[in-house]
Parts: sequence; structure tokens; C-alpha cells
Amino acid sequence: MRRKLPSFVLVLLVALATAGVAAAGNGGFAPIAPHSPNASRITDAYWVVFGFAAFVAVLVESILVAFIIKYRSRGRSRAVEGAQVHGHTRLELIWTVFPVLILAVIAAVVFYELPAIDREPSAATNPIHITVEGHQYYWQFDYPNGARSIGTLHVPAGAVVDLKVVSSDVIHSWWIAALGGKIQAIPGRTNHTWFQANQAGVYHGQCAELCGVFHASMLAGVQAQSLQAYHAYISKTAPATIGQQEWSGVCATCHGNLGQGGYGPAISNNTIITQPAALAGILREGVTGTAGAMPPVGNTWTDGQIAALVRYLKKNIYKPASLGATSGG
Amino acid sequence: MAARQEAVYPVGWKNGRVAGWLVTVDHKRIGILYIGTSLAWFVAGGILALLMRSQLATPNENFLTKNSYNEVVTMHGTTMIFLVVVPILAGFANFLVPLMIGAKDMAFPRLNALSYWLFLLGGIVLWLSWFSKGGAAHAGWWSYPTLSENFPWASPGHGQDYWILSIHILTLSSLLGAINFLVTIHNMRAPGMTWMRMPLFVWAIETYAILLLVALPALSAAVTLLLLDRTVGTHFFIPSQGGNIVLYQHMFWFFGHPEVYIMVLPVFGMISEIIPVFSRKPIFGYKAVAFSTIAIAFLSVLVWAHHMFTTGLGVGLDSFFMISSMVIAVPTGIKIFNWLATTWRGNLIFDTPMLFALGFIALFTLGGLSGIFLAAFPVDWQLNDSYYVVAHFHYVLFGGSAFGFFGGLYYWWPKMFGRLLDERLGKWHFWLMFVGFNMTFLPQHMLGLLGMVRRIYTYHHGGLWEVYNLISSVGSGVMAFSILIFLINVWQTQVARKGVRAGNDPWLADTLEWYTTSPPPPENFDSVPYVTSARPLRDLRRRLADEAT
Repeated sequence: MRRKLPSFVLVLLVALATAGVAAAGNGGFAPIAPHSPNASRITDAYWVVFGFAAFVAVLVESILVAFIIKYRSRGRSRAVEGAQVHGHTRLELIWTVFPVLILAVIAAVVFYELPAIDREPSAATNPIHITVEGHQYYWQFDYPNGARSIGTLHVPAGAVVDLKVVSSDVIHSWWIAALGGKIQAIPGRTNHTWFQANQAGVYHGQCAELCGVFHASMLAGVQAQSLQAYHAYISKTAPATIGQQEWSGVCATCHGNLGQGGYGPAISNNTIITQPAALAGILREGVTGTAGAMPPVGNTWTDGQIAALVRYLKKNIYKPASLGATSGG
Repeated sequence: MAARQEAVYPVGWKNGRVAGWLVTVDHKRIGILYIGTSLAWFVAGGILALLMRSQLATPNENFLTKNSYNEVVTMHGTTMIFLVVVPILAGFANFLVPLMIGAKDMAFPRLNALSYWLFLLGGIVLWLSWFSKGGAAHAGWWSYPTLSENFPWASPGHGQDYWILSIHILTLSSLLGAINFLVTIHNMRAPGMTWMRMPLFVWAIETYAILLLVALPALSAAVTLLLLDRTVGTHFFIPSQGGNIVLYQHMFWFFGHPEVYIMVLPVFGMISEIIPVFSRKPIFGYKAVAFSTIAIAFLSVLVWAHHMFTTGLGVGLDSFFMISSMVIAVPTGIKIFNWLATTWRGNLIFDTPMLFALGFIALFTLGGLSGIFLAAFPVDWQLNDSYYVVAHFHYVLFGGSAFGFFGGLYYWWPKMFGRLLDERLGKWHFWLMFVGFNMTFLPQHMLGLLGMVRRIYTYHHGGLWEVYNLISSVGSGVMAFSILIFLINVWQTQVARKGVRAGNDPWLADTLEWYTTSPPPPENFDSVPYVTSARPLRDLRRRLADEAT
């Protein structure tokens, strides 16, 4: 048994290392493929750190395994002492200075990459400014022309997008891995980040800071598209669909896709959803009920947004009680 | 002397089997109470982990509700940190420090008992919060406001209040303990035991105690302000009324990062005791290990905001905290290389304590290296709050601290109870835990890189997400099984009394706790040999051998 242990350690470590390397091309230790200059630079820095870390890991684990094999007891009695050697100033210096050098190189690489990660490209004279507002449990985007969208941010591919990240309830964290790092949305504070999606497509992410019961449902998407499609979206599609976006991105999370109820109560046959003034009160103030509380999900919504929501609800969701009993669920 | 004893113990009931433990002020019994209680909570917190891994094993799982998941996530973290790792180390310290320095007891035995009973009370308060109005706290173990505030949509009910109360009780317990350790170590060392002849575990407890004194008041202050917000209507952390949430983050992490070292420095101490004994050698660089402990402790109070790189503090502050965090890697590396050098040219004996100590080196190294990614703040912007971080701190806290304290349990068990734990079961325990641990947490690095954020109760992706999560959940089951083997081992050894009787010094160790009987008598020693080196017991063995020839 004693003889077999070290070789087992070796086999295990080799297996782990091979599994890691094998998986590296697909998931594994590779970060999500970057699609924005800041994300690319972060990935570059990541691989530099990875190189050094992997080197040190292999070094330390190999020494450990080698010593375990070489200096194993081989049945010698416990009373037999090893070489009573200790202390070696030069060795101590080497393993102090050597990590310092590695860390200095890593720090230097970070500072080299930093400006291109932290700051928008200086060539971008005209970034698109968008406000990202974290809410329980959705992301809301304000475009330069005053339009709003929920859940999915639409941007022109190739454009530099400057994000102002805020929150009015709890801390959230904005993260689209392919487009750069996280930044928290903190009540009472305005944070900034930016990205430049290098090709059209949809990039997914989700809120990274525990924000309550539906934290896992607080998904985010960025749709990068042509400039033309972007302008069409913010001038026509977004205003036309805001009612539907509010329903499916905000209300339906708790009340169900048809308003049939779920975490929150069934509302499809509740007349309040057809009354803008009453609904506005609930959306802006929240509800403290006996069965649970509704957050003030619409505390930054305009009257126009609420009117749009009511129009959508009347048309698609609301079913008076007599009918709702059969088709509501 | 006899007359005094009569006065102190006038009645017999205090020596009863149960009462003897309830009224004890003996540091050894208090230490064992600490360790036993912590292990009970380790099992409880581990069950919470298994619940989470069951929920996350496959996508769109409905094993736990989202409400209870958030409670479980909060209670698992709080339990493992405040009720398991910190107190089990306090338990080892209680049992070992007086024995290692050749003292009869701690400096303040009654205060010591108070520390333990406060710890038990704090834990009970925390766990009773499951039954409070609104259920247990569910804002995560760091309880960031405003999610932890008393808003109907944040943390209404009393779970969060019980959490705060429990933290208050536990910090009081730890502070009393820390003062006791410091006074004991400074004043009660055996004749001849200078600072440079002190066991390295005692060095570690010295720094552990100092760190507790420095860090815990910040936590107490932060949760006090939170309690005031919740109950009497202040708004320290309510921005809409002029409060500042980032202040809480600073206060919490000013405690939170030293806390990491509070949980691992004593384990470094244990490893520094175990590796030399089972290598049959002295520690390679005694001073290097002792001074690197102090360096880590000092640096650990300068790195807190590396937990806040995504708060938006600006690159100036981020840069400072990156460099200070990286600097900590240097003294940590010094320790690892010293342990490796200690095994060089040794006569390595792979008893269970040694297996856990070597496993500790293998795993803690990986945890330390993944920390460098997180210190490089732009990289942290990607990895922060993802499963990569979950993997990282489990490599440090489980691969590090837990492997270390299990090694410590196997090593000092014969001293505590007079019997050796079974080696065969011990080896099964180690290997299953080692394999299960890597199965559980290695894939979590990859999950974080794939974009899985922490504290989500479910996910919708199949493919690699599902594969890695399933491997991780299966691994957690393997770990749970290894803990079961440990408990069976304890049962067989102590309850079924099958354990081999240990003499005073079954491992031929170096330090004074092995000079007395196993288990030691109430006041530990009749007399203590004059200490002339950091290895008094080896000196004694050699003297005896010389006299015999």
C-alpha cells in the first residue's frame, strides 16, 4: 500500500493535467472568446498570468511528487532520521526573489494592457452614450434619443458604446463576458464602462451580484447590428414594443407569461392592470402584501411607458374574470 | 496545596460525566468542545452544500426553491466561516497552545469557557433563524446592503437580524479568545522557550489572535450600523437618504480579507508541525516560516479592496490593491518552498496526517495561484463573482484549511483521546476527499470562465455547463462519503474502543505536548524540561539515548 501511494499521486496529477489541457481548446481554461477590444486585452493579460501560474503550478507539484517518490520511507523505521539539514540563505533568497520577479512581470503586463482596457479608444470621437439601469430583476437601457429597451441592449456593431451604470434598488453587476469585465450597478453611485462589439451578433450575460430571489433570471443581452438597423430600432421598434418588453422582461418573471401567476399572484383577470393610474402606483411604490412583496419595479418608468404597458395588457393579457377562469392558466 | 484543592472543589457533582464538561475550565476539554461543536456544524454546513450541488446538478432543476436557495447559500457560507473554520482552529489552539508552551492552562480559564459557550450560543442563534419570520438571512454571507436592509423587497423579517445578533455574539467570543491566547503565549512559556524556540503553530496562533483583534471590530461596527438601519430607522447604508453602500463594502472587507488569513495561518502552523515530524527532519527555515507568518498578517490588512475591483473605485486604488495583494504571494511562496525543502532528503512516512499535509500543499498552491488572476484587477473584472472565484476560495479554504485541520485531527487525536485513529480508514478518507474535492472544484474554474455567476439557483445552458456542473455535484457526493468514513473511523476508535492505545509520543514528535501522557492529566505536566531548542522532545530522546549507551 505504502509503495503504491506516490505513483497513484503521479497518475492522478497527470490525469488532471491532461484533462485540463484536453479541455482547454473548448471551454476548459480558455475564457469566452472576446468580441471587444477591452475584452481582448483582458484575455491577453489572462493568458500571461496563466502562463506563469501554470509554470509555477507544474514546478511546485512536480517537486512535491518527485520528493514524495524519492524520499519515501521504503520501510525504514520511524526512528531513522532524515538528513538533519536546515536553512540555506541562498535558497531562501532565490525563492523570495524569483516570485517577486514573476509578479513584477505580471504587474507590468497589467499596466501595459490597462489603458486600452480602462479607457475608450481615443479615435472614438463620438461614442454612443447609454444608461444601464439595474433593477430587480431586469436591465433597462436608455438610448441617446430618449428611447428605452428592457433586457436586450441594441447597439451598432463597431461603434464605441459608453455605458453609465446605475441602480435604484440593490447592487447589481453588469457583465457581458465577450464584451469586457463587470461593473457593479450601485444605488447612489454612477459607474462607467464601455465596449465596442467587433461583429454583429447577440452577446449574452447576466447580473453577477446577488440581488434577490430572481437573481438567476436577471439575464442581459447585447444585440450588435448594422448602424441602419440600430437607428430603426431606437426610433421605431423600441418605442413600439416597450409595452411588450415591460411585460415579458419585468412582469412575466413573477406573474407568468400569461399573467396566470407564479411566484407572484395571477393578474390576468385583475382590473387594476387596465387602469393606468392605479397600476402606476403599484409599479412605482411596490406592494407590501401578506404573501410577499413586489419591488417598485417601475420607479423610473415614465407615464408614457406605463400607458404603453396598459395598452399591451389590455390587448394581450387581460381577461375578465368570467372568461379568465378557463383560459387564464 | 491540598487544603486549597479542597476549597475549590468542595462537591463531587462537577466531576460527573456530563456536568464535568458543562462546568469545565480545563483548556483541553474546552478545546475538544470547540472542535466537536465545529465538526457538528461542518456536517450541517456540508449538508447545505450538498443541497446546493443537487439543485445545480442539471439545468432548470427544481430541487430547491429560489427563496430557499438564497437562504442556503447564505447559511452555508456563514456557517463554514464563522462556525467551522475559525472556531475549529480556536479549538486546536485551546488544546495545543498551553501544552506546546509547557503551561498548565490558558491564562484566563473561565474567560476561555465563556468564549466557548458564546460560540455555541452564536451558532444556535444563527441556526434558529431558519424558524424566524421570513426565514433565515438570504443576502449572502457578506450581507451587502441594500439587499440586507429592512425593505419589503430586500430582507424583511428577522432572519437578517438573527444573523447580525449571531455575528455580534461570535465576534465577542473570538475577541475574548484572542486576548486569552495572546496573554497565555506572552506570559506562560516554559523556562528556556524563547520566541525563536516556540513551536511554529504557536507563532501562527499569536498572529491569528492579533489579526482577530485588528479585523473583528470593523465587522462588529459594520453589522451594528446595519442593525441600526434595520431597526431604528437610521440610513447609514440607504443611498436615497444620504447613506453610502460602498462604506459597508469597505468595512466588511477590511474584516473580510484578514479573516481569510485568520482561517489559514493556524493551518500553516499545523502543516509546519506535521511535515517535519513525518519527514523525520527539522523544518527547513524556522525563521523564514515564522517571519513570513507575520509578514502575511501585516500585509493582509492592506489588501481588502481586491474584493471590490468591480465596485468602480478607479484604477488608482485598484492598482494599489493589486500590488499589495500580489506581494502577499511572496511570503506565502516562502512557506510552500520551505515545506517542500523540509521533505528533501527526509525519511517520509505516509501516515494519514502526512497525507493530509501533503494534500494541503498540492491544493493550497493551486488556490494561491488562481488568486493571482484575481489580484490582476482587469482580469478580476472578468472573473469576479463568477464560479472561478468560488473554485478559488474553496481551494484555499477547503483544499487549504479543511485538509489542514483534518491532518491536525489525525495527528493530535491520540493526544486528545489516547487512541490512534485507524490508518486504513484514514487513508480511504484522504484519498476519497482528495479526488472528490478536485472533481467538485476544478470544473468550477471552467464554469466561471464560461460565464456562470455565483449564487444563482439555476441555469438554462446545456453542453459544457451541464457536464461541469454534473461532475462537480458528483464530486461533492464523493467528498460527503469521505466525511462519512471519517465519522465511522471516530466511532470505531472511540465509541467501539477499537483504536490502538497511543503512548505519550506515538509519532516521535518534536514538541512539548508529546512529553505528557495521552490524554494529558488536568494540569498537563508535573514538570517541564528546560527548553534548549525548537525541538525539545527530540533533544530529550537524544539525551536519553546518550545516557543509555
